[in-house]
This record gives sequence, structure tokens and C-alpha cells, in this order.
Amino acid sequence: MKSGRLLLLIMIITVLVTGVVAAQDETVLVIGHAESTDSLDPARGYTQTKDIIDHVTYENLVTFPQADASEILPMLATDWTISEDGLTYTFNLRGDAVFSDGSPVTADDVAFSVNRLKYVQGSPSFLAADIASVTADDADTVSFTLTQINPAFLANLANTAFGVVNADVVRENGGSDAEDAATADTAEAYLNGTSAGSGPYLLESWEPQVETVLVRNPNFYGDAPYFDRIIITNIPEAATQKVALESGEIDLALDLTSDQIAPLEGNPAISIYRGPGNIVHFLLMNEDPDIGGPVSDPLVQRAIRLALDYEGYQALWGGVQPGSITFVGNAYAFTPEQGVKRNLDEARALLAQAGYADGFDITLEYPIFTFQGVNMETNAQKIQADLAEVGINVTLSPAELQVALENYRTGAEGFGYWFWGPDILDAIDMLAFLPGGKVADERALWTPDRADAALNDLVARARVATDPAEREEVFTALQASMQENSPFAPFIQPDVQTAFRSDIEGYVWHPQWLLDVALLSRSM
Amino acid sequence: MTFFRYIARRVLFTIPILLGITLVSFLIANAVPADPINVNLPQSQLNNPEIVAAFRAEWGLDKTPVEQYLTYLGNLAQGNLGRSIKTRQPVAEDIARFLPATIELATNATALGIILGVGLGVASAVWRNQWIDFAARTLAVIGVSVPVFVLALIFLSVFHAQLGIAAGPGRLDFTMDEPAMLTGLFTIDSLAAGRLDIFANAVAHLVLPSLVLALYVAGLISRVTRSSMLEVLGMDYMRTARAKGVRESLVVMRHGLSNALIPILTVIGLSYGNLLAGAVLTESIFAWPGIGRYMFRASTSQDFPAIMGVSLLIALIYVVVNLVVDLLYYFVDPRIRAN
Amino acid sequence: MSSTSSTISSIRVSARTSRAGRIAGVLGRQPLLVVGIIVVIIWIIAALLASQIAPFEPLAQDVRNRVQPPSAAHLGGTDELGRDVFSRVLYGGRITIPAGILVIVFGSLLGSAMGALAGFLGGIWDEVIMRISELFMAFPTIILAMAVTAALGPDIRNAIIALVVVWWPGYARLMRGLVLKVKSNDYVEAAYCVGAPRRYILLRTIIPNCIASVLVMTTLDIGNAILTFAGLSFLGLGPEPTSPEWGRMIAVGIDYFDQWWTWLYPGFAIASLVIAFNFIGDGLRDIFDPRLR
Repeated sequence: MKSGRLLLLIMIITVLVTGVVAAQDETVLVIGHAESTDSLDPARGYTQTKDIIDHVTYENLVTFPQADASEILPMLATDWTISEDGLTYTFNLRGDAVFSDGSPVTADDVAFSVNRLKYVQGSPSFLAADIASVTADDADTVSFTLTQINPAFLANLANTAFGVVNADVVRENGGSDAEDAATADTAEAYLNGTSAGSGPYLLESWEPQVETVLVRNPNFYGDAPYFDRIIITNIPEAATQKVALESGEIDLALDLTSDQIAPLEGNPAISIYRGPGNIVHFLLMNEDPDIGGPVSDPLVQRAIRLALDYEGYQALWGGVQPGSITFVGNAYAFTPEQGVKRNLDEARALLAQAGYADGFDITLEYPIFTFQGVNMETNAQKIQADLAEVGINVTLSPAELQVALENYRTGAEGFGYWFWGPDILDAIDMLAFLPGGKVADERALWTPDRADAALNDLVARARVATDPAEREEVFTALQASMQENSPFAPFIQPDVQTAFRSDIEGYVWHPQWLLDVALLSRSM
Repeated sequence: MTFFRYIARRVLFTIPILLGITLVSFLIANAVPADPINVNLPQSQLNNPEIVAAFRAEWGLDKTPVEQYLTYLGNLAQGNLGRSIKTRQPVAEDIARFLPATIELATNATALGIILGVGLGVASAVWRNQWIDFAARTLAVIGVSVPVFVLALIFLSVFHAQLGIAAGPGRLDFTMDEPAMLTGLFTIDSLAAGRLDIFANAVAHLVLPSLVLALYVAGLISRVTRSSMLEVLGMDYMRTARAKGVRESLVVMRHGLSNALIPILTVIGLSYGNLLAGAVLTESIFAWPGIGRYMFRASTSQDFPAIMGVSLLIALIYVVVNLVVDLLYYFVDPRIRAN
Repeated sequence: MSSTSSTISSIRVSARTSRAGRIAGVLGRQPLLVVGIIVVIIWIIAALLASQIAPFEPLAQDVRNRVQPPSAAHLGGTDELGRDVFSRVLYGGRITIPAGILVIVFGSLLGSAMGALAGFLGGIWDEVIMRISELFMAFPTIILAMAVTAALGPDIRNAIIALVVVWWPGYARLMRGLVLKVKSNDYVEAAYCVGAPRRYILLRTIIPNCIASVLVMTTLDIGNAILTFAGLSFLGLGPEPTSPEWGRMIAVGIDYFDQWWTWLYPGFAIASLVIAFNFIGDGLRDIFDPRLR
């Protein structure tokens, strides 16, 4: 019989498969991840996937501790001095660091990398915007001059965008750090295929949307990491990641939702990490009445903040209600208890006061995206239901991430749902959401001329304040003001959760680069 | 020779169709309302008119639609499908990367579907209106009726997640290296490289998605096989064969099936073409890096060079499959040969 | 063939009895057709009476009781936002069934009109219409529909438009073939000879002779249209996210793999409905074309 033969064939295959013993000499770590990057070039990519990879393939002048951003630690620089006026930083390099091709890391490489970042006009280039100049004083000394005081400058330097590249190699492959680098630099394709840094790993290959392979950097001058080879395989569907983790095909699943992790709780083969995250999900309301319509009205904006079911979002994802637009845990950030409390009567009263006693119709734009296990579509549906309770009739308008970004970036979005991961792990990060900042100015069109003078003064002080007491005062006042009047409604700061095979040791979640694969090992 | 003239005529006929297809796909790709500039450049570069202008020039966006279409045709004539905006790779390279996965899946599924479908169809026709016929027909209806995405979820959840007897999503285990690129079909490449372990792994990963698709294909094929066979079995020459005392099984297989082949071949060709192009649902559930998933991503991210490239490729596949089917007719049906 | 001729004679015999008796006789020979009709009727009633039968509002969220397995309170469990799966499945028929029917109605009307024109007028019209239909047929259904919805934007109306665009060529080809066949019949020739106007011949003589075959094809096709609509919806190219559309609900199930009730029930709904429609289509074809029984 044909079906009998088929069955036999399947049985033979099964036996073959289970019978094949993976005789592996090298140590391999396999990570399941929903890849989200268009570039691995340090100066061009600006996503978490890129952070994970570039954090171990490049090194920075300075870095953070393994698990948090509480202090600045030396990396390629051994020490540094800051001038009296706070505008000049001078770094001494460690001198023994070498790139993956064995050549030494010099001050020239640092200057090249920083200038390239500044001029290439990639997504993270804004991080270098306030650097007036960077010069190699000698082979082991490099100094930066800033255009204005930036209390977060050192924290900035720890971003993978400032990863130091091998200037000679990058130049040979089309790299440029000249002012016209935006068009002159053609090294991106090269840096997407291999890395040119001094980190413990070397990029062996990146096949977009398929997998990324890292191998141990043979010339790494520090302690060699445990794994010979790291495979980051693209698994966009979180459910598939879970199945692959259970079967042991992958060692680490980065994008599981809390619902997928819950059934893994009792599984002895799997360990779970759960901790507070630093991503804030928020609603954006355009200040321009022509674009935002009703939501450009400050009264409506406050009503929407009062209408959201904050506890409901915690029931969905775990985590906390962000006290303000900046993440709970950031310096001077409001606690969840200081956050807005749901009050439907007050929200309705505000809407009536604004002339919308019968509510209004509005379209909510958002990307089809699941970030760190939080499905934005689920939240969007909950927002729709929450606002329906005060008479606001929301139509959902999802779009693919790149497409949704279009309206967001150009400020053409009237009412949007987005999330924010800090660019800089410092209180100063919240200035992005205040007039003069990136999100406020360009996305919500909340420009300084639309804001009152008192707020603009506060923002100006916050930008340069260095004294802790003054900073606390200013940032507290800013957050209080934003609860009353701002075009943003932050509503959930989900927990982060990662599941991994129990034999993986050394897992640490980091607020900036998510995961340092060089710290991982496998117990015998 | 008539055979070659037949082919030549058929090939010639496909040229206007292909031209029309480029036009349709161009129109569809251009009907997308958004400006690809905003989607595809980072914010910091949007404010730089030089870069924006360079991008427009690179993609021909600064020209009129007619010029754009003619440019596209010109490039196409040189085998240049353009560069995908999303992956930044040449579309032809992307296709070369994603198509083999789809071919491997579609071919396996179709082979499996033919075995199951023709078997069921013949059984159904021979034991017409008996319980076998009833069961086979019901099975066929179920095969064409259960949505592949539901079947895929059920199979994954039962055979992979619960019972653990089938390999999961993807073409290989994540730890398994891909075999050296030869055809892009892992089963063939692994054998060529002498790697039985990779071969076994690739086959194991093919089982579930192929089965899901094969049930649908089998449903289609068995329905056509049954009706085609019934028609043939009623013909005079069948009665003649029986009357001459030819063994029943031989009558069915030799005289019946071979004469019923034309409609069966047609449906096989049609469904094979469909699988090569339209397995997007199965591919997305099984994380199968095939052309369907590529097309889906391209169409949701307004990547018009990719949309056009894939549309053209798929249409080409259709045309080729149809051509092959026609050629098979030529061999199967003596009447066509005579003409 | 003995059984074929007996079928025909049984139909002839029953033709002499009452109409009701005749229908009963035909249905009795077609148990699957009966099953199909019953299942479709059940789903239509469920959809029509959803607001009476469903224990919960299909959109009512209760995040504190989310992803609960089936229980007495929630027969189908709850989904990721705590909505009642059973209620949503009942309401789902209100979207999917009309969508599938609309696609077929518009697709068959447009296609038949085109096909009739091509077959009847012949010449350059025939060439143009048929070449255009071939173009559309060269694109696989779901790919063309994907491209159209990508261009128009995803919502129910555009999904239906996309499917009509995909669907009409099949009917155009069927209709053209039928018209050509009928056109060559003696009575059409006769109509020409007596000088009947062309429009009259087309509308009164030819089309009525083709309608039965088109109708059989539409019933065979509804299941397919529903499947494709659900597939588009599954990919996010159909109704809006909150909508209790079956394909949409199954798509959410991808993230909730372990919570099988979130996707298996809507999956069962589509499968049973499409199977039922296919039973009906097959049954009707057998009745109209008894040769193939």
C-alpha cells in the first residue's frame, strides 16, 4: 500500500533524525530573536538588535556596569579629565587594545569613528550632534570639544553608536569621516558583512531576516568569552521562539510575551528572568489643530490621560504605570504612585469643557509590532475600549513598522501609539518630550513657540543643570507640568522577561544593550 | 519538426503576456499612496535635500511614471530587476535566496499531494458510490476546505509542541549549518556534500509544512481524478478492453488513468504554480524563508522593486508551468500531436 | 453504465411526482448536500441571532479574566483581552459569510458580463477581454489580493474589492465558453435568421441557457472565497483588529499557541462552513451533471 510506504518513510526519517548525534567540537550559543534592524554599521543602525551585536563586536571609550547604568566605567579609555567650563573632555586610551585584524586601537581610530558617526547622518547621528570637534592629541590621547554643556555626554559615549571602528579597514572599504560622509561614505555594506572592531566577537555573517553569526575574535586582547560561536536566528513569531526553546533548538528566547512565559514556569529545563524594564508606551497627540484635530486641545489631552485604565495594562503585561514620560527608575523620575490616576468623571467633564460632551471620532495610528513581548495591537485595542468609555470613538489604523514610522517621523500623525526606549540613561532623556526636544518638536509639533515661556525656561535650565539639587527641582517641576499639560499620555512600562535553557549561566539584562553575549556560558 | 514549432509558438505567445504582467505589477506598485522616501530613509537624512535627491534619482522616483516604466523595462531587458528598498539587496539576489526554499516545499508538497490525490481519486472512481468513494470524497472536501493556516497551527501544536515527533519551524534546526550552496535545495545540496545528517534534518523539517499543503493539493487532485476517471471509464474502449479480458487493474491503470491524465495534469500544474507563489500563509506559520513571505513583507512595506520583481517571477513561473503542462499534453494526447 | 442510467431514470421518474417529492428524492440521494445545507443554515442563523444567543458582547474586554480556558461562564474561553471567544465566533459569521457571498456575487456578475461580451461579440473584443483576464489569472489569488490591499489600504471593503479583482476572470472564461457553445445551437441561428435584434438574442436566448452552469460554479466557489478572505484577514489585510472576524482571531492565536481555544474555535468555524459550502456545491454539480456521479 502506498500509505504504508509513506508511513514507513516517515518512521525511517524520524529514526535518522533522532539517531544523528550532533558531534560538535565547538561551543555554540543559539539565540532566538525577532530581528529588527536595517544596519549593523555602528554609525547607522539604531535598534536593539544592532545593540546586542555591536556591543560585543565593537568597544567604546567608556561603558556601564554589567547590569545597570549607575556609573560610567573605563573601557578603551583608562581615564579622562573634564575642563573647568565642562566643554572639553580628554581621554587616555589603554594602549594595549587591538582590533580583530591585530592592529592597535589608536586615538585616530576614535576620532575617525566619532566624526563618521556625526557626518554620516545615520539614525543615531543625533547622539554626536553637540560634539564640536574631536581630535587625536597623540596616539593614546583623544579630546572632545562640545558646543554646549551636556551632563549626559559620558553616558552618551557608552552607546554602541560610538563603537570604535578600525579606521584603516573602514576607509579601505569606502568609509569616510568627512563632512560629506552622508553621501561619500559607502562602508555600510562592508560593515553589514563583517565587523571592524575590538570586541570579543567578530561578525562572521549577517543574512537579513534569517540569521546573524558571531565568532570569537581571535585577536581579542581581553579574556576570551566562553562560546566559540553565537548564532542569532531570526524568529519573528514569539510562539515559534517558545516552541524552539522548549525543544532545546535555541538556548535563549528574547521576545516571549508574559502569556508564553507563564506555562514555562514549572519546566526544569528552562530558567526565566523577569525584571523591571525601561520602555515606556505612550500616546502621542499632535499639537497642530489641523493635524491633531480634537486631540490638539490640552483639555482633551488631559482627559485622555485620565481615561486610560492603567491597572488594566499591568494586568496585560506586568510591569508598572510610568509616573511620567520617563521610565520609573531613571534619575528623578516620578514613581508609579505619582502617576495620573484614572478618573472617568473628570475626563468626561474635561471633554465637555472642551466642547466635546458627546465625544468625537479619531483615528489611532500605530505599528504592527511586538516589542520585548508586548504586542502593540493588543494595547491599541485596549486603548480603543478605554476611550470609548468617555465617548471617544477610536478607529484603529495599524501599519507595518517602517510605514507607520513615516507619519510619525514627519509629524503628520494626529493621534499615535508608540513606545520609547531611552537614548541616554539619564534624566536628560525626558527632554526629548519637551519643547525643543526630538519627539516634542518633530513628532507632536510641540515646539517652543507653542509652549509657554515658563516651561521653555525650565527646559533651558534642565539642559545644562549639573548640581543634583537643582536637577531634582527642575526635573520634578517638568514632570508635574507634563501631567497637567502635554501632548503625551504614557500608560505602561512593561516588565522585561527572557527565558533561557537552565544550563545557560551568566544571563544579565542590561537597560542599554539588552544582553551581553560575552558574559554567557554553558554549565557542564 | 512540428514539436519544436509547437514549443516556439507557445513561447512566442508568452511574450505579450509577460509584458502585460510587468505593466500590471508596475501599476499596482505605483498605486501605493505613500512616498517611499519617508519609509526608507532615516529621519536625519530626510532633512538633507542632497540625499533625498540622490535617493530619488537612484530609484528613478524623480521621473514621470511612463519614464519610470520604460526605465524598468530597459533594466529588465538587461536582467536587472532593481534593488529591494527594504533589504537593500538586488531583487534578483533576494529571489535567488528565497526561491529555493519555496521550490523545495512546493515540490515536496505537490509530490505528496499527487500520490495521495491520485490514489484517492482512482479508488473513488473504481469503487464508485461505495463507502470507499464516500470516505475519499469526504476527505477530499475536507482537504480543500480546512484553511491551511488552521491546519498548520493544529499540526505544529499536536505533532511538534505536544507529541514532539515532528520537527518544528524553519528549514533546518537552528544549530545545523546550511549545506554549501549548490541548488539552494537543502535536500539536494546536503546529499551532494555527503552530509546525511543535514539531509535527514532538512527532510524532517519538510514533513509538517509539506503535509499541510499536500492535503490541500490532494483534495484538488483527487476530485479531478475521480471525475476524469469516471468519464474515461465509461468510454467504449474501456468496455472493449474489459471485453477482451484484460485484467481489471490493468484496465484501470493503463487505459483509464493514462486517458484521464489531461485534466489531472492541468490541476497539478495549476496547484504547483499556486504553491510556488501563494504559500505565504504556510510559510509565515512555519517560519519558512520563502518567496511568499518575501512578497508579503514587500507589499506591506511598499517595497515596489521587490513587489514588481516577485510578481514578474511568479507570472513567469505560471507561464512556464503552463507551458510544461501543454508539452505534457503533447505527449499524453495523440490528437494534439496529430494537429 | 448501469448506475448512471439508473440515476437518470430515477430523476425522470421523480419528475412525474410532485415538486416537493422530487426535491426530497434528489436530496435523499445526496446526504452530503443535506448535511451541507443544514450546517450553512445553522451558521446563518447563529450569525443572524448572534445578539440574542451570544452570552457576551463580542467587543467587551475584561483584562482581569484574560486567556481563561473554556468554562461554564465562557464556553469557548476568553482571548488575550478577556473577550468571550464563543460570542466572537458567533458574531464572526456576520462578517465572513456576507464577505464571501459578496465576492462571488460581484465577481460572477462582472466576470459573466465580460465573458458574455467576449463570446458574443467575438473578434477584437474577445481578444482584448480574454488577454486581460489571462493577465489577472497569471497572478496567484493571494498575491494579487495582497498587492491590491497594499495599494488600497487594509479594511473589509478593500479586501472584498481585491478578491473581486482576483475572481472575475474565472467567470469570464466560463461564460465565454458557454456563450460560444450556445451560440452555435440551431435555435440561436434561427433567431438570427428571423432578424431578432442582437441584444435580444444575447439577453433572452443565450444568457438564460448559461445561467445554470454559472450558478453551480458560484456555489462551488463560495467556500473558496471565504477561505481566501479569511487568509487575507489572517495576514492583517482585512477587517480592523478588534473585529471578531474568524481569520483575524486565528492570527492572534499565533501568539497564543498554548491557549488553543483562542484559535481552534474560529478555525473550526471556517472549516465547517467551507466544508458545508463545498458539500452543497458538489451536490448541486452532481444533480446538474449526473454523468459524474
